[in-house]
Amino acid sequence: MANKENPTETAATPIITLRHVDKHFGQLHVLNDINLSVKKGEVVVIIGPSGSGKSTLCRTINRLETVDAGEIMIDGVAMPQEGRHLAEIRAQVGMVFQAFNLFAHKTILDNVTIGPIDVLHKPKKEAREEAMQLLKRVGVDQQAAKVPAQLSGGQQQRVAIARALAMHPKAILFDEPTSALDPEMIGEVLDVMTKLAADGMTMVIVTHEMNFARQVADRIIFMDAGSILEENTPEQFFTHPRTQRAQDFLNSIKNH
Amino acid sequence: MSVFELLSQYGGKYMLALLTTWKLTFLAFLLALSIGIIITIMRICPIKPLRIAGDFYVQIFRNIPGAALLIVLVYALPYLNLVWSYYVCVLTATSLIPSAFCSEYLMAGMNTIGAGQIEAARSLGMTFFKIIKNVVLPQALRFSVLPMTNLLVATMLTTALASQVPMNPTDLTGIVSYINTRAVGGVTAFLISAILYCITAVFIGQVGNLIDRKVRILR
Ligand SMILES: Nc1ncnc2c1ncn2[C@@H]1O[C@H](COP(=O)(O)OP(=O)(O)OP(=O)(O)O)[C@@H](O)[C@H]1O
Ligand SMILES: [Mg+2]
Repeated sequence: MANKENPTETAATPIITLRHVDKHFGQLHVLNDINLSVKKGEVVVIIGPSGSGKSTLCRTINRLETVDAGEIMIDGVAMPQEGRHLAEIRAQVGMVFQAFNLFAHKTILDNVTIGPIDVLHKPKKEAREEAMQLLKRVGVDQQAAKVPAQLSGGQQQRVAIARALAMHPKAILFDEPTSALDPEMIGEVLDVMTKLAADGMTMVIVTHEMNFARQVADRIIFMDAGSILEENTPEQFFTHPRTQRAQDFLNSIKNH
Repeated sequence: MSVFELLSQYGGKYMLALLTTWKLTFLAFLLALSIGIIITIMRICPIKPLRIAGDFYVQIFRNIPGAALLIVLVYALPYLNLVWSYYVCVLTATSLIPSAFCSEYLMAGMNTIGAGQIEAARSLGMTFFKIIKNVVLPQALRFSVLPMTNLLVATMLTTALASQVPMNPTDLTGIVSYINTRAVGGVTAFLISAILYCITAVFIGQVGNLIDRKVRILR
């Protein structure tokens, strides 16, 4: 459909596949038989009550959390357990955190170039030029020589997105990227993400911003108590939630 | 003897002694820093036996008196058919002990780095050593400039151990005994050395403060 020259390839391998993934934190069954598949260019938004396992799910996708059982594949390749090979696969999946997690001792520019230079072995000059373009794209190129602490939260999060983009990832995972931001800065980050989605980036997003979810998601995943309870288009999910849990959840945030 | 008599007669020897102390201090601190970094990497690496070995090393050398270590090196090593020169024995003793403290300061510096930055590095595809090189060590070192400055001064004071073995040229403490076995330098001979130690320490402190201000990480 999308790619006329090579229709079989686009149809075939999803970028992210999770099969029967299980995880416990001690007694707590934090992920319960999770099955998920994200196609190239797809935007999947995960929502659900606090403690339902959204962050854990997001983090298992690039193995920041290990799993007890099940299979996780990135572009058809199973996530290795350890070591260099795991690092190589991780480099293909970007991650944007709630707390930005920029490298505090590095300039904004160096935050963006360190991955390409040190992991992808790109020439420095090329990495810098591309980083400046990316910083421009997210609107913080003026701050390139500063360090993270000199930037606002919204600016820092946009740098974090540029840092992820600089790796040319096959997908980017976002774990509540706007939850640590002052309300007036949420919009600038969501705008950048909306543009990314429109440019065809494959994205998995955990968020509490329902309007945004409705607007950018191709698919909504609703989680509760470690399980995926619903998987639907935003339109269907927000207007006709099938489970009682989802209805309760939507009501609880409406009354907020 | 007055200060002037002492200086006119032994000034050259004091100069040489000061240089010896500086050289020992510099070499010992460089060794301590290198060993301290390696031990610290061992203590945080994913391989448990290495972590245990690193912790054990620090416990040993943090808690052993310098003089005791020097005695072991000078008198016990020959039983293992290891005969080191006095200079090497002194240098070893004065670098192993600060290396344990160096590792402790680096560990403390690391505790200020958020787990989030490490996770960000991992998700960029960095391996353990790249994370150490790019994220952990640079920040730990910047956080520990002031303790490291104190460690450098402490290392200098530890080099006074050199006076306990025959060395030529001798160090700032050794020179005092050298003079007092030949003339009546008394406490004045010691005072000159003490002043030279103090001047060096103050200088180190100033440089340390400058570096700290320069590399301090904004939060
Ligand atoms: N490292 C951990 N050790 C033990 N329990 C954990 C750990 N991390 C998370 N949990 C627990 O696992 C459950 C799911 O956590 P998770 O962070 O995935 O939830 P979440 O859906 O992201 O919630 P929130 O909306 O509050 O971010 C929670 O009950 C949490 O307390
Ligand atoms: Mg969460």
